[in-house]
Amino acid sequence: MTTALTQGLERIPDQIGYLVISEEGVLASAGELENDELTAGVIMQMVRTACRFRLHGTAEPPFKRMSVMFEDYVYAVTISGQKVFVVKRQNNQREPVIV
Amino acid sequence: ATCSFKMVCGILVKPLIPDPNLNKIPTNGSDRNADSLPSNRTDEQALLTTILQRTALNIIDVSAVDSQGMEQHEYMDRARQYSTKLDVLSRTLSQKKPVPLPSLSSQPHQVLAADLVSYADVQQVSKIAAYAYSAISQIKVDAKEELVVQFAIP
Repeated sequence: MTTALTQGLERIPDQIGYLVISEEGVLASAGELENDELTAGVIMQMVRTACRFRLHGTAEPPFKRMSVMFEDYVYAVTISGQKVFVVKRQNNQREPVIV
Repeated sequence: ATCSFKMVCGILVKPLIPDPNLNKIPTNGSDRNADSLPSNRTDEQALLTTILQRTALNIIDVSAVDSQGMEQHEYMDRARQYSTKLDVLSRTLSQKKPVPLPSLSSQPHQVLAADLVSYADVQQVSKIAAYAYSAISQIKVDAKEELVVQFAIP
């Protein structure tokens, strides 16, 4: 079962780790997020909070992906089929240099 | 001829300590008050009694409440009653399911693989957040009146 969930995540460009989390707990983890239940817990809380936001009284959460951005890396988070998918990706974006 | 008129004062709230100087009928020098001024002693006594009465009305003394004794079996019966009620309630509470996670996408891998938020967007959001933070930190109370006042005791 885990291969179906994680195959797509493995192939994400510049990914350095991922988590698949359900209501019961962590279903799969790899890379820098391997066995990282602490990060899983924090991200679950964050995404649950974000899901409560609404725009102009619409019924659904107003976003597809939540990004937690740090200096050198990003946690990209989404929810599908009662599971939370988290991928840690490198963030190489810098201020564009005008030559 | 006796002339008397009431002095109307603008106090709307009944003060806890009544001012004995209110409702005094002013005269033109000569003492014309039919209900003559009581001596200072009884005046003070009346004041204190009024304070006591008002306090007694406003304060509930829990220790002085008369409690009826209950028989042992009555007590046990009631304890059992309450315990059963609590059990029923706790059962219905634990059945409450947590809010299920909404589905944000049917293609999670695609969504997560998409381009990251651009540097320009991050800068813009950071700037907006900084403005918001600055604005919130400038919120302050503009006190128009004294918050602490002295009670005026005549």
